[in-house]
Amino acid sequence: MADASNLATKMDVDEAAIDEGLYSRQLYVLGHEAMKRMAVSNVLIVGVQGLGAEIAKNVVLAGVKSVTLYDPEPVTVQNLGTQFFLRQEDIGKSRAEATLPRLAELNAYVPVRLLPGQPGQSISVDLVKGYQVVVLCGVPYSKQLEINDWTHENGIPFIAAETRGLFGSVFNDFGPRFTCVDPTGEQPLSGMIVSVDKDQEGLVTCLDETRHGLEDGDFVTFTEVQGMEELNGCKPRKVTVKGPYTFTIGDTSGLSDYIRGGIFNQVKMPKIIEFKSLRESLNLPELFISDFAKFDRPATLHAGFQALSQFSDQNNRLPRARNTEDASTVVELAKKIDAEIDEKIVTELSYQAAGNISPIVAVIGGFVAQEVLKALSAKFHPVVQHLYFDSLESLPSTLPTEQECQLTGTRYDDQIAVFGKAFQNKIAAHRQFLVGSGAIGCEMLKNWSMMGLASGPDGIIHVTDLDTIEKSNLNRQFLFRPRDVGKFKAEVAAAAVAEMNPDLKGHIVSKQEPVGQATENVYDDTFFAGIDGVTNALDNVTARLYMDQRCVLYKKPLLESGTLGTKGNTQVIVPHLTESYASSQDPPEKQTPSCTIKNFPNAITHTIEWSRQEFDALFVKPAESVNQYLSEPNFLESTLKYSGQQTEQVEQIVSYLVTNKPLSFEECIIWARLQFEEKYNNSIRQLLFSLPKDSLTNTGQPFWSGPKRAPDPLMFNSSDPIHLDFIIAAANLHAFNYGLRGETDPALFKKIADSVIVPEFTPKSGVRVQINDSEPAPGAGGNTDTDDLAEVTGKLPSPSSLAGYRLTPVDFEKDDDSNHHIDFITAASNLRAMNYSIPVADRHTTKQIAGKIIPAIATTTSLVTGLVCLELYKIIDGKNKLEDFKNGFVNLALPFFGFSEPVAAKKNKYGETEWTLWDRFEFNNDPTLKEFIQWFKVHFNYDVSMVSQGVSMLWSSFVGKKKSEERLPMKFSKLVEHVSKKPIPPHAKQLLTEVMVMDEDGEDVEVPFIVVRI
Amino acid sequence: MSVTPAVMRRLMRELVELKKSPPEGVRVVTSEDNMLDVTGIIEGPEGTPYAGGYFRVKFKFTDEFPAAPPKCWLATKIFHPNVSTTGEICVNTLKKDWKSTYGIGHILVTVKCLLIYPNPESALDEEAGKLLLENYDDYCSRAKLITSVHATPRTRPAEFDTPPTASISTSTSVPATVLPPTTLSIPSTSSTRKSPVPPSQPLQSSPANTLPTSVSSLSNDKDNKERITSPSPLGTANANVGGGAGGMGPLPPNTTKAVKRSATSAGSTGAEKRKKALKRL
Repeated sequence: MADASNLATKMDVDEAAIDEGLYSRQLYVLGHEAMKRMAVSNVLIVGVQGLGAEIAKNVVLAGVKSVTLYDPEPVTVQNLGTQFFLRQEDIGKSRAEATLPRLAELNAYVPVRLLPGQPGQSISVDLVKGYQVVVLCGVPYSKQLEINDWTHENGIPFIAAETRGLFGSVFNDFGPRFTCVDPTGEQPLSGMIVSVDKDQEGLVTCLDETRHGLEDGDFVTFTEVQGMEELNGCKPRKVTVKGPYTFTIGDTSGLSDYIRGGIFNQVKMPKIIEFKSLRESLNLPELFISDFAKFDRPATLHAGFQALSQFSDQNNRLPRARNTEDASTVVELAKKIDAEIDEKIVTELSYQAAGNISPIVAVIGGFVAQEVLKALSAKFHPVVQHLYFDSLESLPSTLPTEQECQLTGTRYDDQIAVFGKAFQNKIAAHRQFLVGSGAIGCEMLKNWSMMGLASGPDGIIHVTDLDTIEKSNLNRQFLFRPRDVGKFKAEVAAAAVAEMNPDLKGHIVSKQEPVGQATENVYDDTFFAGIDGVTNALDNVTARLYMDQRCVLYKKPLLESGTLGTKGNTQVIVPHLTESYASSQDPPEKQTPSCTIKNFPNAITHTIEWSRQEFDALFVKPAESVNQYLSEPNFLESTLKYSGQQTEQVEQIVSYLVTNKPLSFEECIIWARLQFEEKYNNSIRQLLFSLPKDSLTNTGQPFWSGPKRAPDPLMFNSSDPIHLDFIIAAANLHAFNYGLRGETDPALFKKIADSVIVPEFTPKSGVRVQINDSEPAPGAGGNTDTDDLAEVTGKLPSPSSLAGYRLTPVDFEKDDDSNHHIDFITAASNLRAMNYSIPVADRHTTKQIAGKIIPAIATTTSLVTGLVCLELYKIIDGKNKLEDFKNGFVNLALPFFGFSEPVAAKKNKYGETEWTLWDRFEFNNDPTLKEFIQWFKVHFNYDVSMVSQGVSMLWSSFVGKKKSEERLPMKFSKLVEHVSKKPIPPHAKQLLTEVMVMDEDGEDVEVPFIVVRI
Repeated sequence: MSVTPAVMRRLMRELVELKKSPPEGVRVVTSEDNMLDVTGIIEGPEGTPYAGGYFRVKFKFTDEFPAAPPKCWLATKIFHPNVSTTGEICVNTLKKDWKSTYGIGHILVTVKCLLIYPNPESALDEEAGKLLLENYDDYCSRAKLITSVHATPRTRPAEFDTPPTASISTSTSVPATVLPPTTLSIPSTSSTRKSPVPPSQPLQSSPANTLPTSVSSLSNDKDNKERITSPSPLGTANANVGGGAGGMGPLPPNTTKAVKRSATSAGSTGAEKRKKALKRL
């Protein structure tokens, strides 16, 4: 941060703490530093129609010092089509004034102010002084130039944005020398090294085959290098990549000889960006490519948007919708700016200029809001400098006439100006099922309500979400307010958008039933017959896969999307055309081998995973086992017998229920103190006893080397806060298991912990296959002789003697800061990290990893949802060519936009028949298995080798003669019940069946799935 | 939990294949009412302290399968450095080196290989790891004891009554050795190496010295790993693993250092220990 001139004024950071409860998910995107810089910045937004409101919403949610609005113009009915803060009764009021109270509700930490003005009074230089960033929405170029001349000279970040129909434009000027401290937002890389050459160009080699992932020009420093110790903590050295496992770091010839070990750590270096002023940039623009398939378009739109502005300056109005006369004037103006333009595109721009539509507003608004945050926080790379975006493909295949686009005096006028009245009616008659009402769901409903989706007599929106609203949702799920915490998401969201657009009243139904096999009586054949498509707004793969399967079965189009921090993607799935969601999945994260977690951790993620497992092993599973023993008859005989861990489990139950059951909180503290000894001293000493620090492998190498870090036992010290944190959290969670009241006064813990007499530990050697013997958790070894078992079992009180007594297992909840869960995991992980000399991690970082928290920010959600709705237009229009649709990939941090055609459904073949995942065989009237198998023989000469339904294997070639003879005459429904040992639920009218068949040559043939109607 | 039809289809295919022609010494047990409930049985390889035992491997498929590996653990007690007392198995194949083309058969063969080549470097049971490193004989007798107590049924599992129909001719020469601690550099399980299973060469025959030579000769081939194919009996397993040539055979590129290490030492102590062990067995 050497040259952070633009940050200087913001560095007098207000030390007021950031509300981690509210900003939790966003903090994982931006980090504390960036958010502190935002917290001292004032933002001015000029122009609060749809676009200004979308930007303001996202900036207010993100959290800045203040947001000021300027827009003295009166609200028109047309504004209601994109400006979701305005209501019918606001028509005629000042736009900024009417917006302010609803915007201010979003975030109590962000005051929203009004910059007063008179209708007709445009923004001027003296009004924009005193803000850290100035955003102009829909302001004419002449005015933009006037303001930008001043902001550029004064190094104030300036953003101008505009949406016209299916087009959008953004311009950034963050001043002549803007410092960006973190251009990518990616975690700095680090990795273990095994050699550094002494050379002019010192070559660094990484451990075995771990790719370093660095790029030329990155910077690194080092730790833990033995021998060439000058590298430890050295000034960042510039990297030249030589291969996936090697890189050079400049001259190392004068340094000491390398011996072994070491870790490289990437250092993020600030980047200085020199922005041109708007005046300069209009002539010599740097154009950002938002879609590589539209390579020429930015230049055309650069001229087109200027021409539009000139047109409205000259005529005091925008070009009329689909009016050829106005369009040719705009084209002429554009040609004067750039003779090379694509006239067709500029004509469309002119045709649509009169209308703002909600999805484009969401795309551009989400994008610009992130640029605002970049300007304030210096986190992530701003766009340099012009972005032009369009989604012309979303136009209906039958273009509207000028007549069809006339103003009708309704809130949908803007959308009608773009798509025409007939298409508006289609939108109003649409029937969609929205699965999920979280971040994406809220944004989706907002866009839909603005679009008037399902607002007609036949239209209906179903929205379901099983979740209730939590505080950490409020930071981006903007339909929810603090007073809604605890209520059902779908219910609150549905009510909120019906208030935004009262036409939706009666056309939006909220549900709490999650989608899944258990609710197929709710989301049944009739339900799916009543919808035109499904939109996923989910946060997990399981539900996505399930909905995908349902949409394939019912042949419904599916709109899929997801976000991860500043990254987002959208996928459109169209029956008989595209592949489905399940056809291609992202590879899941690589897992860590269990021995690394158990004995050889070398990174904080390993100790956090260990600590998360300890949490379950200490506070969840034992209490559950005890309860099962007390409540389930024959638990010992039945359940346990097959676990392969019978003796251990019984010993654990005895320990938790009898021998180590605490009667007071003091005993919980003592227990915690002994746990400390066990985990961080005894077991480490045992490990070092088995594998001493100087042990060698049989190849003569030190055993503890490379990724294996030799541990050291910890001596308990009640003055060390991490030690005491462990005792406090562990004692409280143990007490929770037994319903004992907890304490938090450190003095008490210190006093008792220091008085505990800890038994002397001697490492075990020899016969017993176990890690230690005092640990009640599973995994404590033991003899499994039946005698032993009988002896242990004898110590158990009979369940009837403890009628009604239960332990309370801990239910892991990461977002409650008072429940000691994350406290325990943080302390337990850090103590283990100290065992292994791994740098410890703070609570915030630990919480993300242990809680598998997905970073999230409103800006990305808003943009991604906009992209989805642009595809929804195409679905409503009934487009049916692959090239009509787009899957999107964005990363707002870089920034990056990428679009691709959806992948076609893969074509398979049986015989001469081509088929895709959308095809199926259908059997009516509940055939017998024999008829079923014969059908394949008769029609295709295929031999069936296996038949399955759900997870049941109904029949296979290796099933055995007797079973075969029994099953062949059975009706399908009977067979399914026979094999699954479960009745078919009454709502199930069709059974999804899979077969494996072979042709006459004994070759496997892939055939479609089968629907058997019963 | 539900599994997608595509995954079900894959499992069906694999189960049929495994029933029809299981890899040597490996069988699967399926459950008709729940095809996701799959148990593998591995016959303790001859020449190892696990011989005579039958080890049950349980599988649990998540909805990310096959992109993510199934959960997999030993339900039979075993004394083995890479198996924890709770049955967890430390093999890279089941974690970071998982590939979506792998399946049940591949996992079972990998675990079987682990019985032949324990790897004390990635010890989950450090007691077993220590013994394997320090006192091979003790390790062997302990492992044999546990095998006889916990893994040896009175009659062998019925699944093994039917010989594999597609059994491969070389079955007679399959594993005749327990590999002593010289296997440290063999990339079977260590957290830093990538191969899912040991190289096949050491299995060719029992003579101890084949390992170092064949491994070191490979080390020069670092950049041409795809050319190294598996000529050995373990190829039988390979043939059944579905992954085909890429599945098991090739020794992955290894650091030259590591290979040299094994080359220098295996000739001495390792060979002696192995001979001893073989005598005992």
